[in-house]
Parts: sequence; structure tokens; C-alpha cells
Amino acid sequence: MRKYENLVIVKPTLTAEEIQASVKAIEEVITSNGGEIATTDTMGMRKLAYPIEKNERGYFHVIYYSVAPASITEIERRFRLNEELLRFVTIKYDTNREVKAWNDLVEKANKKAAMSAKAAETPAATETPVVEEAAAPVVEEAPVAEATPAAE
Amino acid sequence: MSEKRKYKKRYCKYCEAKVDFMDYKEVGALRFSLSERYKIMPRRLTGNCKRHQDMISIVIKRARAAALVPYTVTRKAVVTQPFENLR
Repeated sequence: MRKYENLVIVKPTLTAEEIQASVKAIEEVITSNGGEIATTDTMGMRKLAYPIEKNERGYFHVIYYSVAPASITEIERRFRLNEELLRFVTIKYDTNREVKAWNDLVEKANKKAAMSAKAAETPAATETPVVEEAAAPVVEEAPVAEATPAAE
Repeated sequence: MSEKRKYKKRYCKYCEAKVDFMDYKEVGALRFSLSERYKIMPRRLTGNCKRHQDMISIVIKRARAAALVPYTVTRKAVVTQPFENLR
């Protein structure tokens, strides 16, 4: 089993429910190939640095998982067949240093998910903290907005 | 002899910060090694050491593939969107 990270960009033309469904389908591809998803990180709808297939925006989703190296070709093949995906980037974390970084990233993503879950519960409390939070809400608002349809 | 040391002595900022791993998703951190036109800055201008320059170039290329950083900037794009899309 080796540690991997996949960033997928889902088409922005889909509705919120369809995006959630396709993200779920993507995670299903990984788990059905023997992968164990450690955590996921939603970056939300972002502007792309350059248009892909004439789309200016995209829904970014990052999945951290571990899987046998042989399964990666199959996972990538399935991703390529998926027409709802604009782009995917697979990163391998192989050396000791990279694995350590992977663990840190997973921890960070978990913390972020917990934070946004807390923010959804108590929206008033998150507004009080000052300078450090100023940059954070921009990132966090999107996951919260997308997280609610999933709960329904 | 005034020509001898015209610029400040350069050093690797990543070594100073003891950077061991760079994440391609943190686009703001890549800004230091990118030019205005999103070219990778050469080592002779930034003062990066070889090890960190190799790391940053790989990371920037990954970020480009992930559409977080543009490959090229046309004249029109330079005018309409300044550096601000990298938060």
C-alpha cells in the first residue's frame, strides 16, 4: 500500500447535488479498487488559472488515500473515462519525508473539515476571532455551502 | 571597488525556514519563486539553493497541471487580472 493524493476538478456546469454525486462516484472508484480513503478536502468552486474545455471555473476536491501501486493505472483509466472531470492530478508520496508530509496534510484536512463542521453549527462564533481568520472564511465558506446539500 | 558588492548577499529563504516539503495547493507560498508572468524565477535571482529550487520547480509544475497557476499569461490577461488570484 502506498500513499497517494488525488486532486480532481469537477465541471462547474453541474448542480450542487450532481457535483456531490460525481464526487461520491469518484471516491467509489478508489474504494472499489482496494483503496482506503484517509480523508478528503473540499476546496470548493474556484476560478481556474486557465480555461479547461472552455470552463472558467471548477469544483476542486482533494482525496488522500492509500492503495496498492498496481491499482493506480486502473483508477486513472476510470478517471479519464469520466466526462464530468475536467482534470485530475495524482501525486505519489513514497519516501519517508513525503509520507510524513502526507500525514501532516491528512491531519490538516481533518482539522479543516472539523472546523467547517463547527462553523456550520455556530456561524456567529466564527466571526469573532480576528486577523488570522480573515483569510480563512474565503476558503471555508464554500465547503460549508456545499456541505449542506450532502447532509440533506 | 564599489562594483564589487552591488547587491545584497543572497541566501536560500527555504533553507532559512527549514522547508522540507512543499504543497502544490498552497499557491501563495509559490509566489516568491514566480515572476510576474508566472515564469519560474531562476536561482541566480532568487538565491534558492539547488535542492529547494528542484523542489519548487516540481511543485510549480504540479500546480500548473492542476490549473492553480497559469502556464502562460497573455498581454490581455496581464491587464485584466493582476497577481491577486493567488491568495
